[in-house]
Amino acid sequence: MALPISASSASSGSQSALSESTFLSRVRRLTVDGKRAGEGYWSPDGKRLVFQSERDPANPFYQIFVLDFATGDTKRISPGVGKTTCAFFRPGSSEIMFGSTHLDPKSKQYQDEELAFRASGKERRYAWDYDPEMDIFAVDEKTGTTKRLTTARGYDAEGGYSPDGQWIVFSSMRDAYNRTLSAAEQKQLELDASYFAEVYIMKADGSGQTRLTDWPGYDGGTFFTKDGKIVWRHFEENGLVANVWTMNPDGSDKKQLTDFGAMSWAPYEHPSGEYFVFASNKLGFENFEVFMVDKAGAKEPVRITYTAGFDGLPVPSPDGTQMAFTSARGGGAGSAGQIYLAQWNHEAAMAALKAAGPRQTPKR
Amino acid sequence: MTNTKHVVVAMAAACLVASTPVFSQTATSSRTRTHVETLASDKFEGRLTGSPGEKLAADYIISELKRMGARPLPGLTDFRLPFTFTAGSKDGGTTLAITKAGSAPQLFSGATTVQALSFSDSAETSGAIVMAGYGLVVPESQNFGYDSYAGLDVKDKIVVVFRYFPEDADQQTRAILARYADLRYKAQAARQRGAKGMLVVTGPRSPNAGAVVPMSFDTAIAGSGLVAASISSEAFAPIMAASGKSLEAVQKEFDSGNPHVAGFAIPDVTVTLKANVIRQQQTGNNVVGYLPATAPLTGVNKPWVAVGAHYDHLGRGTTGGSLAGKDEANQIHHGADDNASGSATVLAIGDAFSQQPRKRHLLLAFWSGEELGLLGSNAFVTKPPFPLEQMSAYLNFDMVGRVAGNKLTVQATGTSAMWPRLLEQANIAAGFDLVLQEDPYQPTDVGSFNTASVACLTFFTGAHQEYHKPSDTADKINYEDLVRVGELASGVVRRLMDSADVPQFTKVEQKTETGGRAGLRLFTGTIPDYASDVKGLLLGGVIGGGPAEQAGLAKGDVIIEIAGQSITNIYDYTYALELLKIGEPAKVVYMRGSDKRETTLTPSARK
Repeated sequence: MALPISASSASSGSQSALSESTFLSRVRRLTVDGKRAGEGYWSPDGKRLVFQSERDPANPFYQIFVLDFATGDTKRISPGVGKTTCAFFRPGSSEIMFGSTHLDPKSKQYQDEELAFRASGKERRYAWDYDPEMDIFAVDEKTGTTKRLTTARGYDAEGGYSPDGQWIVFSSMRDAYNRTLSAAEQKQLELDASYFAEVYIMKADGSGQTRLTDWPGYDGGTFFTKDGKIVWRHFEENGLVANVWTMNPDGSDKKQLTDFGAMSWAPYEHPSGEYFVFASNKLGFENFEVFMVDKAGAKEPVRITYTAGFDGLPVPSPDGTQMAFTSARGGGAGSAGQIYLAQWNHEAAMAALKAAGPRQTPKR
Repeated sequence: MTNTKHVVVAMAAACLVASTPVFSQTATSSRTRTHVETLASDKFEGRLTGSPGEKLAADYIISELKRMGARPLPGLTDFRLPFTFTAGSKDGGTTLAITKAGSAPQLFSGATTVQALSFSDSAETSGAIVMAGYGLVVPESQNFGYDSYAGLDVKDKIVVVFRYFPEDADQQTRAILARYADLRYKAQAARQRGAKGMLVVTGPRSPNAGAVVPMSFDTAIAGSGLVAASISSEAFAPIMAASGKSLEAVQKEFDSGNPHVAGFAIPDVTVTLKANVIRQQQTGNNVVGYLPATAPLTGVNKPWVAVGAHYDHLGRGTTGGSLAGKDEANQIHHGADDNASGSATVLAIGDAFSQQPRKRHLLLAFWSGEELGLLGSNAFVTKPPFPLEQMSAYLNFDMVGRVAGNKLTVQATGTSAMWPRLLEQANIAAGFDLVLQEDPYQPTDVGSFNTASVACLTFFTGAHQEYHKPSDTADKINYEDLVRVGELASGVVRRLMDSADVPQFTKVEQKTETGGRAGLRLFTGTIPDYASDVKGLLLGGVIGGGPAEQAGLAKGDVIIEIAGQSITNIYDYTYALELLKIGEPAKVVYMRGSDKRETTLTPSARK
């Protein structure tokens, strides 16, 4: 990849005076326990946060936990076995959705293998493996019952409910498993399965699964917006450049909002409906920072975080006054990434977006 | 004192409404300020252990304990738990007589000629002399193979050793030997091999050549079981003459670091060493009380939860530890952050729990003697008033009044697997940007409890420019956030008090073995920031006029390489210092912000 960094675009005139404290205050580490945590999503009333964390000594993989801001207590709501990811509260119900591999009979074996690897003291680069056994489930907090919403072979995850709780938009790699692949495709699957990921929509009970995208490259990180559209991140075929897109829930009116020529992903709408926050490695391949972009994608995105190391997966609170995000800024025991919480200055965000220049096109 | 107003406003917005109000915010806040201002006031004269100021501070704390309804420990009638310590030692007139066969003895005395080592027994000893090189013994566990006594018979003899460690050895050898070059360690090695006495001479090829070792501050109550003194080159000359060799030539041989260079007996001469060390014994006072459980303790596992802080400080800085500049020497060291802040926090926790049901006893401890080497807490765990197995946990507060950027460091989290979860829960309401450090080997009272196998934590808001200076005053404390430290700790204490599970103690291995501190003969003038978790060594400050300042280094710089050694943490730095040589410029690579810079630092000799 030719790193698409043009130094001049990092700060264009009016933005040069901005810093992290312009938008974020009282930044603090929220999760402390365990090796890593991330993907914190708020309950609709803002009183709780659901997130994934590696904190069970017997299971080295992510499980899903709900943190209660009033009591400080955290409880696991996923099965405890296998890998999980990407949880989301269902509005107007007591259900929480998440991706999980717990039905895979080999789950325990994988856990033990990973624990043995970690005990050996060896290290390897962290990588998410797009387990083809990953399906979407919803657990009812009241009854404790878990129901399976997807069954297709291939990674199903990265889902979000619609504001009325009736629909789920998600990402699936089923296209790599439900047909005969060409030799080139087979090779691609072995190299990087995420290439096959596309956006799907279904009813909250799992019925009516419909595909919304059909092009090369990883489509995922899907969420509904307040006005019923879908925001997600689309990777180009090379797997290195990604951008934030929006579309209608029937797949029409696909619109690209960012164009850094870098890896821009994990978009989430601010509840004002005025802008999206997202993460990008525009400033360095390993250095993800949080940015925001106006709803129409007309302006050059504005940088929000200014701290070395990974900052990403930003999620504003339902009242728009706080932002949860995943960061490696803590160093030490938290260097693998933990969830942080900050006060969010919406007024400053609006002013900065207003002052931003028109969207630029990267040199390629 | 930044953004305090803002902090209060943000607190209100941060979902705290439904959390248990352990603290009554306003009352606690104003009391905390009063505690700090009182303890750090001129009246208490810097609260030096054993001083009238320490006693006044103890009286104040006791009146506060009584006000909240705390009691002396079960079976005791006083909140004071006294301990004896050595407040200082001086030479009371040490003499050395050298007798050559057939001649009259030559007598040496006077502080610049012969001076007892501070840990010497006060006694007289006579015997033949054995030159034992640098007197270094590297433990077998190090697989290094260096023993200055190999092949030497020193039983009932008096050994002569060089100060420091071989000057010309390669870097790796120096680094290993330096760890065992502390004079106390050398004395121990000599005694274990049966020597009756030890004479130390600073070789002509070393820094401070020919000079006696200054009598260092030493808090040991008794001697080390050996008569030991350092002597000047003048006093050593007649002994050397008897060997028929030159001192410089002998040192040069040992300086190679070659383990096969052997020591030798010096014939035809005996010495009589009469050491006189005057140790000034004093009494310090820990102040310890408790709030008894409000319900029967039947079936409660480990019924004590303990919180503590040292309340002593440096007085006027005359007994060591002071970093005061010349212009402020001998002034009262107020110790507002260190550690009126921690003491006020323990009082605040006591106040909060005095009004609440308690399923366990809450022990409130105020240690003295911390600045002299954890003396008070060490005395407590050595002879505990109740078995420490009954203590479910100990929380320590030392320098917690300087919260900046909402950061709070919690150390010793490796002492129990339960700590990260408890801290996460308690911090949801308190809202600090927590930095966790597993290492319990910290220079504060938590070390005593870790050694005693009690699950423990210590809270810390970082080193600063006023550390150990008279200017560590009450007006520089961030009171709003200091109160929040108490809130967070109370949240942890609440959970410890109520929980059926207690934290299981886990032993954390010490990262480096340190035999001694001889590496510290060298002075760089850097003040490491021990709270930092950055890669490299973050400077909390530099000492005015010292080599680091002269090299252009400043607070906030991060040293990433020194003398070709890459530095990722404080341990690397300590190790690298042992490789430096006095007066020899060393390249330092450091980060200032995101700027990578280079400079040259020339270490000077520590006196």
